[in-house]
Amino acid sequence: MENQLLNNPYRQIKSTAAYRRLMMAYYFMVKHPAWFGKKVAWITSGGPVEPLYAMGVLPFYPENYGAMCGASRMSPSLCEAAEQKGYSHDLCSYALTDIGSSFTGKGPIGRLPRPDFLVCGNNICGTVIKWYEIQARAIRVPLFFLDTPFFHDELHQHNLRYVEKQMGEYIAFLEDQMKRSFPEKRFQKVVSRSFETISLWREILDLSRNHPAPFAAFDAFIHMAPIVTLRGTRWAVRYYKQLKRELEERVKKGVGAFGREEIRLIWDNIPIWYDIRNLSKLLSSNGAVLVADTYTSAWAMEEPDLTFSLDGLSRAYATIHLNRGLGYKTQKMAKLIEKFGAHGFLMHSNRSCKPYSLGQYDMRREVTRLTGKPGLIIEADHTDSRSYSPQQVEKQILMFLEIIRGKD
Amino acid sequence: MGNKPSLIREFERVASLEYKDIASQLPGDCIPIGFFCPYVPEEMLHAAGAFPLRLMGTPIRMSHVQAHLPPNCCHLVKSSFESLLRGELDFLKGIVFSHTCDTMQGLSDIWAFQKRLPFQFDFMTPSNLSSERSRPYLKAEIERFKAFLDANVREITPQDLKASIHLFNQIREKTQTLYRLRRKWPGWISGSDFAQIIRAGYLMDRSRYLNLLGQLLETIPEKSEDNGHPIPVFLAGNMTHSPSYFSMMEEAGASVVSDNLCSGARFLRLVTCEDIDPIDALTERYFSSFLCPAKHSGVQAHIETLIKEVEEAGARGVIFLFYKYCEPHYFDYPDLKKALEAKGIPSLLLEVDDPATSQGQLKIRIQAFVEMLNPI
Ligand code: SF4
Ligand code: SF4
Repeated sequence: MENQLLNNPYRQIKSTAAYRRLMMAYYFMVKHPAWFGKKVAWITSGGPVEPLYAMGVLPFYPENYGAMCGASRMSPSLCEAAEQKGYSHDLCSYALTDIGSSFTGKGPIGRLPRPDFLVCGNNICGTVIKWYEIQARAIRVPLFFLDTPFFHDELHQHNLRYVEKQMGEYIAFLEDQMKRSFPEKRFQKVVSRSFETISLWREILDLSRNHPAPFAAFDAFIHMAPIVTLRGTRWAVRYYKQLKRELEERVKKGVGAFGREEIRLIWDNIPIWYDIRNLSKLLSSNGAVLVADTYTSAWAMEEPDLTFSLDGLSRAYATIHLNRGLGYKTQKMAKLIEKFGAHGFLMHSNRSCKPYSLGQYDMRREVTRLTGKPGLIIEADHTDSRSYSPQQVEKQILMFLEIIRGKD
Repeated sequence: MGNKPSLIREFERVASLEYKDIASQLPGDCIPIGFFCPYVPEEMLHAAGAFPLRLMGTPIRMSHVQAHLPPNCCHLVKSSFESLLRGELDFLKGIVFSHTCDTMQGLSDIWAFQKRLPFQFDFMTPSNLSSERSRPYLKAEIERFKAFLDANVREITPQDLKASIHLFNQIREKTQTLYRLRRKWPGWISGSDFAQIIRAGYLMDRSRYLNLLGQLLETIPEKSEDNGHPIPVFLAGNMTHSPSYFSMMEEAGASVVSDNLCSGARFLRLVTCEDIDPIDALTERYFSSFLCPAKHSGVQAHIETLIKEVEEAGARGVIFLFYKYCEPHYFDYPDLKKALEAKGIPSLLLEVDDPATSQGQLKIRIQAFVEMLNPI
C-alpha cells in the first residue's frame, strides 16, 4: 500500500521483507521436494498439520494458494478453466481455482506441486470433501479424510471420541504412506512449537487493542500465511517473534498502522483478496482502520491443551471457528467489538463460502442488538472478481462510515 | 376406492396439499415433526408417536427469505425457510435437521435463531462413511436422538421401534414393486402420476399410505399395453419435486425407468434389517446401502454406484436434474458425466431453481436429448 496516501499514510511493516523471504523459501521447497528428500501432502486449511511436520512431510495448502491466485488476480481465468471442464460457476472459487490450476498448469507459482497424498478435514466446510475427492481421483493419490462433526451448540463426548479415534487412524495412514513409525517425541516438539506460534499470533493480534492499532487486519491477512502453512516449524516461531517485537515497538511509541485512526472496525469472513489494497485505501483515506477480524483470529486459539497430546490436538481441531454454530460466531463478533473498542463491523457475504456467509444477516442484527454498534454487509467473492461491483461496495462503505460518524 | 383412477386422484390430492392444508387435516392429538433428509431415521419419529413430515420444497414466491439467506442457496432451503417465516409451518411441534451439506448446516442455525418451533434437533450424521470409527459414532448419535425423542415426544419402546421399522420396510417393498412394474409396463402409471405417488408418501399417515399402495398394486394390468416403446432414461439428482419434469420426459418419448433422486429410489436403499437390534439395524443401513453425494465413502463410490444403477435399469441415457447451487451434486457431476461417457451412456444436465419457472427451455433440451438417444 502506497505511502502517497498523504492524508493518512500507511506505515510499512519492516518484517514484511523477512515474511517474503520466508514464504519464498517455503514455496521453493514444496515446488522441489525431491531436492530436500521430502514428500508433499495437500492439506485443507483446518487440517491437522502437526503430524505431517513430525513425519517430515511438507504441507501444501490449496486454499492459501487460492488466496495467492486471488490477490494476483489470476483466479477468474483459472475458475473459467475449471468451468470449461463442467464445474459449475457457483462452486467455491478456491476449489475452482485449484482445479483450474491443475488442469492448466498455470498460476502464480506455475504448475502445482504434485502431492504424494491428500489430507482433508471438514472442520471448515463440506466443500473440501468433494474437492479433495476430485483431486484424489485426478492425481491418483490416496486421500485421508478427518471427519469432525459440526457442533451447533454443544460438543458431545461421543463426538470428541470420534475425532480422537480418527486421529489415530490418521497417524496409521501416515505411517503407511511414509513406511516408518510415528516419531512421538518429534511430534510433541512440533505441537509445542505449533502452540507457541498460535500464542505469538494471538499476542500479535491482541496488540491492536491499543489505540492506535499497530497492525491492521489487512496486514494480518498478509502475515497470516506462516500461521497457516508453517505452524509447527521453527521458521514460524522465529518469524512471529520478529514481527511481534516490531509491533511492540510501535505500541511503545504510540505509532499505528495508519497515521490517522478515527474509526475502528472489525471484519468478518475471508478477505476479498483481489481488492484488499483498494478497500484498505478507501477506509484509511476516510480515517477508518480494520483493527481485528474473525478470519485471522481463527488461528489464535484461546486455551490450547498444553499436554501436546493427540487428544488435545483432536479437541483443538474439532472446535475451530468455522466448525461452530451461529450462537458462538455471534458471541465472538460481539466480544471482538468490545475487546478492540470498535465502532462497527464489516461483513463480507462471500458467495464462495457458505459456512462463513450463511447466517450473517441474522448475526448482523444480533451483534448490533448486543453491542449497539452498526454493521454493514458487502457482497463479493474471496478470489473470483467476476461478480464483484467495486463501485457499489465503495458507495455502501462511504455511507456506512457516515452513519458511524453521525453516531459518535 | 380401489380402482386405479380414484387411487391416483387421492395420491395427487395429498401431493398437491400446501402446508396449511396438511395442518388442517391432521388429527388434534397428532405431533407433526418436520425433517428434510433421509439421513434422519423417520422410523424413530414414527415410533415415538410423531407424524414425520418431509419438507420437500414448494413453489413459493420468495419475499421474506432475502433478509436471512444469501441468494445462492438451493430452492429447497430457500422455499422451506420462506414457508417457516410466513408462519406456514407453525403447526409443526419440532424440526429435525441432519448433517449433510454446508447450506443445510447454515439453514439449521438460522432456523434455530427464529425460535419459531417448540424444538429443534440436529442429527449429526458422520460425513465419512468409510472409517471404521464412523459406525460407533453414528450409533451413539442415534441413541442421543432416541433419548431426545423419549424426553420430548414419547418414550420409544423396542416394540414400537420394531413395528415402525416393519411398516417403513413394507412401504419400501411396495414402492420397489411399483418401480419394477413401471419398468415392465411404462404406460401403466404415467411419470407425473408416479412422482405424485412418491411425494404423497412423505406427507400422509404412513399406514394409510401403505394401504393405498397395496390397493394400487392390485390394479396391475393383465398384459402389457402398447406404449410406443419409450426410450429408457435414468434420472439422477435431488428430488422429485415437480411432476412436470416427468411429463416433459414422457412427452419427448422417454420413460424414467429408475432414478437416484433423494426423494425417489434412494429411499429404497434404506431397507432396514429386522433380525438384529433395531438401533444397530438403523445404523448399519447408512453404511451398507444408502449414500448421498454429501457423504464420503471412498473416492470412487459415487461413480461406481451410479454406473451400476444405470446399467441395472437398462437406461440408454441419464438426465441429471439438479437444484441450482447444490454443491455436492455439482462437484460430482463432471466426473460422473465422464464415467458415463466412457461406458457409451450420454447424459444431459438440467438445472432448476424454482421448479415452477423456466420449463419451456427445459422442454426443448429434453426433446433434443431424447431424440439423440433414439437411433433412426
Ligand atoms: S467453502 Fe469456505 S471454508 Fe470451504 S474451501 Fe471454500 S472458502 Fe474455504
Ligand atoms: S444437498 Fe443440495 S439440494 Fe440438498 S440441501 Fe444441500 S444444496 Fe440443497
